[in-house]
Amino acid sequence: MSAALAPVGPLPDRVVRDPVLLAFADQVGGQDAGPVAVQGGRTQWNLGGTADPAARLIRAPSGVVAFEPAEMTVQVRAGTTLDELDAVLAPAGQRVALQGLPAEATVGGVLSVGLSGPMRLGHGPIRDTLLQARYVSAEGLLVTAGGPTVKNVTGFDLCRVLVGSYGTLGLLAEVTLRTRPRPQASVWLAGRADPADLFDRLYRPVSMLWNGAEVWLYLEGYPDDVAAQAALAESAGLSLVPGPPRFPAGRRSVPPATLRHVRLDPAHQGHFVAEMGVGVVHGEWPGASPAAADTAVVALNRQIKQLFDPYGRLNPGRDPMSVPTTRTGQP
Amino acid sequence: MTRTTAVEPRLNDALVIELAACLSADRVHTDHLERALYGRDASLMRGDAGVVCFPRTTAEVQAAVRVALRHGRAIVPRGSGTGLAGGAVPVQQPVLIVTTKMVDVEVDLANRVAWVQPGVINLDLTRQLRPLGFHFAPDPSSQQSCSLGGNVANNSGGPHCLAYGVTSAHIVAIEVVLPDGELAMLGGLGADPDGYDLRGAFVGSEGCLGIATRIAVRLTPNPPAVNTLLADFVEPAHAAAAVSAIIAAGVVPAAIEMMDQRITQAVEAFVGAGYPTDAGAILLVEVDGLPSGVAAETAIIEQVCREQGARSVRIAADEAERMLLWKGRKTAFGAVARVKPNYYLHDTVVPRTKLLDVLQQVYAIAERHELIVMNVFHAGDGNLHPLLVFDAAEPGILERVHAAGEQIVRASLEAGGVLSGEHGIGLEKQSFMAWQFTQPDLDAQARLRDAFDPHARFNPGKVLPAGSRCGDLAHLDAQHRDRLLADGVWV
Amino acid sequence: MKLPLVEQDLASCVSCGLCLPHCPTFRVTGEERYSPRGRIEAIRQVHIGNEPADASFIDMMDSCVQCRGCETACPSAVPFGRLMEAARQGLAEHTRYQPWYRRVGYRTLSHHRLVLVGSRLIALAQRLHLVPSRRLGLPDRLPLRATALRAVLAPAGAPRVWLHTGCVMDAWQRDVHSAALAVLRVMGVAVSLPKRTRAAGCCGALANHGGLVGIAREQAAATMRSFPGEDIVLVDSAGCGAQLKDVGHLLDTDDARRFSARVMDIHEWLAEHLDRLPPAPGPRPAHSVAVQDPCHLRHVQRAHLPVRRVLAPYLNLVELDDDGLCCGAGGAYSLLQPELAGQIRNRKLEAISHCGAAMVASANPGCSMHLAAAGLVVRHPVQLLAEALGLLDG
Repeated sequence: MSAALAPVGPLPDRVVRDPVLLAFADQVGGQDAGPVAVQGGRTQWNLGGTADPAARLIRAPSGVVAFEPAEMTVQVRAGTTLDELDAVLAPAGQRVALQGLPAEATVGGVLSVGLSGPMRLGHGPIRDTLLQARYVSAEGLLVTAGGPTVKNVTGFDLCRVLVGSYGTLGLLAEVTLRTRPRPQASVWLAGRADPADLFDRLYRPVSMLWNGAEVWLYLEGYPDDVAAQAALAESAGLSLVPGPPRFPAGRRSVPPATLRHVRLDPAHQGHFVAEMGVGVVHGEWPGASPAAADTAVVALNRQIKQLFDPYGRLNPGRDPMSVPTTRTGQP
Repeated sequence: MTRTTAVEPRLNDALVIELAACLSADRVHTDHLERALYGRDASLMRGDAGVVCFPRTTAEVQAAVRVALRHGRAIVPRGSGTGLAGGAVPVQQPVLIVTTKMVDVEVDLANRVAWVQPGVINLDLTRQLRPLGFHFAPDPSSQQSCSLGGNVANNSGGPHCLAYGVTSAHIVAIEVVLPDGELAMLGGLGADPDGYDLRGAFVGSEGCLGIATRIAVRLTPNPPAVNTLLADFVEPAHAAAAVSAIIAAGVVPAAIEMMDQRITQAVEAFVGAGYPTDAGAILLVEVDGLPSGVAAETAIIEQVCREQGARSVRIAADEAERMLLWKGRKTAFGAVARVKPNYYLHDTVVPRTKLLDVLQQVYAIAERHELIVMNVFHAGDGNLHPLLVFDAAEPGILERVHAAGEQIVRASLEAGGVLSGEHGIGLEKQSFMAWQFTQPDLDAQARLRDAFDPHARFNPGKVLPAGSRCGDLAHLDAQHRDRLLADGVWV
Repeated sequence: MKLPLVEQDLASCVSCGLCLPHCPTFRVTGEERYSPRGRIEAIRQVHIGNEPADASFIDMMDSCVQCRGCETACPSAVPFGRLMEAARQGLAEHTRYQPWYRRVGYRTLSHHRLVLVGSRLIALAQRLHLVPSRRLGLPDRLPLRATALRAVLAPAGAPRVWLHTGCVMDAWQRDVHSAALAVLRVMGVAVSLPKRTRAAGCCGALANHGGLVGIAREQAAATMRSFPGEDIVLVDSAGCGAQLKDVGHLLDTDDARRFSARVMDIHEWLAEHLDRLPPAPGPRPAHSVAVQDPCHLRHVQRAHLPVRRVLAPYLNLVELDDDGLCCGAGGAYSLLQPELAGQIRNRKLEAISHCGAAMVASANPGCSMHLAAAGLVVRHPVQLLAEALGLLDG
């Protein structure tokens, strides 16, 4: 049909006109403006390689732009802290699935690092929270990836690639996140129990931690459901506690099944905290574990970086391929 | 169908001989009539398949890809062919890699995943998992037929993705034959694989970034309690208002589906689910989880629906009734043929709070173009599925359908929505991409594609419109493009 | 090639693909050419697109089991069976699709004495080990001689029915008819039998499925004439029942339509007269029975549920988890397409072994022979019922 090609050009509201974002893009500058690095709350500053000291250090803009409770989405600038965001969402009985992360961390920071908190088992990985991202490209242009609605498959899913990219492909300026209702009841329990057995008996617990001896369990939901699940846990030897244990600084990820069958040397007990069902182990390890590098995957990573930032100016020194403390390996 | 410029593959072509050597002669098909069957999927478009291959293993897929690359041929992956946007319609007489003979399933309960080959049918997997107490959460309406490879390619949704998330949230790792013929594992069973989230990039890439050969899908535990409600409204507006009111009440049901009167009547004739055919619109709402939450949410939803003017709210008494209510919803698209033989379907998403407004515009647009429109959609997500139904034999009707479709897309985007919620862009909706995205936006997407497939060998001519960067369609030779358009590739 | 079809039927398929998993040949091949959607598209290409009706097209049509599982799955209500019959009719008329020997074979079925004599010859040859039965898909031991069937008398005022006896079934599975008569006798029903001569031979189903509509019409008309009067005609073979219910459409006369309206699958009738069935004399057997729905009962007659209603009071029934997928018998299909039929049967065997039943109930002679040939214990529901009522010896 002759009319097959629709008129070219985005609808007017698709062009970003927010002066705050435009100013941020100016601050980043074009391809010749030299290396630039973004800092948020510096809560995970040591991850993903050492920031190049030669890079100009800037901050992303902050502030909640729009929050419509009935949409269950929030549009927020990347430099906003999790605390500030939560203060806007809480009165409406909502929150985002970025729980258990430092309150002073910024939204852009935690997304760029991409590491989920201890509620990942129940809330899902933080990458699934991001619906739309506006970022400044290596050319200094504002780019929109994804879309503002809760469901969207229009074009390639750049949002997923941006989460955990350590700002090496683009600098997050503003994001739209999915929100969730806050639960009516929640509770932490802990005690000595077999984590695998308990895990199989509960229905979708939000978090289950294990240090080789003790199990911590976090439940959320409607009061009666939480009470019933808690009773199950109590019958297995757990009792109410105020919160989770302290996490050692290091972090590795393993297939979740590895943790189910692990028989530990008693000397290791208490020296790590493992997220059951997820496979993240928090602990201290001397040195880096060997990387299981798939050459095709490494090549793709290099190629993506090359095409998005051929000038090497976005967060130089950072590289998601070399995150020693998060290497996949045996605990 | 015109065949003037088509190059007929012959059994003694080097390409065919080499493919047959990699697979086996009986799984490399060149028959003209058969290629015609693979010229289309569930959309209205038609292309030209080159050679049709049916590999069984990863090694065979990789070998077939390498042969195709050596011969400079494009490659189009295809699952069950249930896509609605022409994503599997062959362009450039490609080597078609059909995954329907790749149906192995390996359940790894300890890791709560199943490793599946791409041809496994979505519902087959869920059925197989049922005795173990698990299921695969994405449940597109075509789930009885669609393949998991296709689900990955389209980042499929379905009614239950309202609470459970779309396919991307349920894919842990993907073994992929990349466009250069290399094999790679994207993602992994560990929580934080190194590097960029290539798994996330691959899901929803509509066959443009390679072909999945093994997929690790997350197993979701079956909920201990489920309630399905059918609310019956005189006015579609009241039903739409109820959707927002349910969400505003702090409840995110597992699913909220809406059907208007025309589609309800068409579907009821097929399934006999007891849908009220005199209702202006019905809502199908499901809540699941632990029993007291389910009871609480059921009560809230029932009350909200009544407050918004529902004439009745029926709660499915048992599993059989529940399945029947869902069967009606899931077979809705097919049932429109009872009204008219053709349909053209859009898949836009609008902010939930704009649902009513856009819905009213959809009815007005259809009326202006003297077309029948039926609405059956994922209301909870704001994911509209307006079906323009027509008889293609009627002169001039395609122009009207096209014009109405364009206005519906425009109205959705103007309301702050997006082009596609789950069907993808494929061949059909490319030209609207430039409405939603600016040039730098499209350029960024094109860079991602170039990183995987610099020569646009995989599923050429799809997703990104011409000129996005190097321009997908720039790789298309002019003859092919003209022929596609002439043969009814219309949007 | 123009095929004798209704173009509206072709247009009603929107290519959604929801039929694919319900097609036995697609299930075992994964190929579009062996799927309902693919076959419809092929018919379109030949009928509208001027593609030649070549060997490839014939293969696509001939490989269809005609189970019509796609029809129950189709939300658009595409009359696939009608399209397939039209395609085959066109092929039979214009190509060498049905060679002379097959036509002779179908015609032979009209001559019931020939069928009986032929069957006995095969049975004799089997005893002498002259016939590779398994390879030909024949039952292991065809009966050498069958017990005579007798009409059932009942006092005036009792319900009156006919029992359709058919061709191959009468020769090979007359035991089923005997069991049906025994059950009807204890229910106090008067049963008439057609004269089993040329008049009441084959109902025409096999010829119709093969596209030999002329032969099918002759056979259907002859069958119809052998059931005069207004009494209900009970059929204990699902395939024959489906055909006889369709005679009205096939012959397109008022007489034929009236006749079709009198036809009932025997289980439909029994389910409506459960009150006439006595309770089981003994304890309920411990073993369970898998119900295999013949396609022409489930998808065509849509009368598979009555089988359960009739048997459930007497036996422990289990359902198969394969969504009623065809077993691959398909009348003459298992003879003509042994390879596909075998692959399709393997899926069925898997489903049966999952469910853990000791035996299988199947209401169609083709299915039961096809499944028995794989080593399963298969009984007709009516036989199981008669057994449960203590009406059969041993």
